[in-house]
Amino acid sequence: MRITVLSIPVMDQEKAFQFYTKKLGFLKKKDQPLDGGHRWLTLVSKDAQDGPELLLEPGPLHFEPCKVFQDALRESGIPWTGFEVDDVQAEYDRLVDLGVEFSVKPTEMGTVKFAVFNDTCGNNIQIMELL
Amino acid sequence: MTFYEQEINRIREAIYSNEGQVNTAIGIRNFIEQNYESDLNLEILSKMQFVSKYHLIRLFKQYYGQTPRQYLIDKRIAKAKEQLSKGMSVTETCFAVGFSSLGSFSTLFKTRTGSSPGAYRKAQLSRSNSKS
Repeated sequence: MRITVLSIPVMDQEKAFQFYTKKLGFLKKKDQPLDGGHRWLTLVSKDAQDGPELLLEPGPLHFEPCKVFQDALRESGIPWTGFEVDDVQAEYDRLVDLGVEFSVKPTEMGTVKFAVFNDTCGNNIQIMELL
Repeated sequence: MTFYEQEINRIREAIYSNEGQVNTAIGIRNFIEQNYESDLNLEILSKMQFVSKYHLIRLFKQYYGQTPRQYLIDKRIAKAKEQLSKGMSVTETCFAVGFSSLGSFSTLFKTRTGSSPGAYRKAQLSRSNSKS
């Protein structure tokens, strides 16, 4: 058994695809048409192209409890998931320049530094760096 | 303040309030990051941070979730992948990232990544060639 795909719920797959590739810098790995205009759409990080894939899943559109959970997490500021970066401050500066909105600015907490931004697709996402 | 920020503040108070310990743990990690390719051992790390070997292991595990040894091995394997992808030979890579035996490097690399260093190198190089 291997961990190859992890998913993130998004309201609009194309919008999410644009945000996650153009702003965050992930690369497209798989894009397969499914019914109803949806896609099996996965991304990988540039420096780990054989690593786990991130599936942009249109769950909240089709399954009400998924939307309820996503909304509740977003409103309480809780990140859906997090991505590791080498330098939180540099990444924060880069993303702010691209118009990304942060709910938590770069913050140190013990042996980690993190920040939280809005992915514009319904989720808070955390970036983190080991200190 | 969001619920998340309240929780973060609570957790910070609960587990990161001992600044001295946090700084020691950070110091150990930084030293490993900068010296992973040398012959690192607990003796060196504990002398440098003025803590006993056992305390050092416990402290590191408490703040990073892994022992210093596990962390060092992960670091070396990650660096080995980088070097192999750039085309460095298996033998050179082995010593460049701090392993002292080719046999144990190969075995460890295969256990961690699923392929031998040679096979990994070949796959990475053929991929970058096919791209260009």
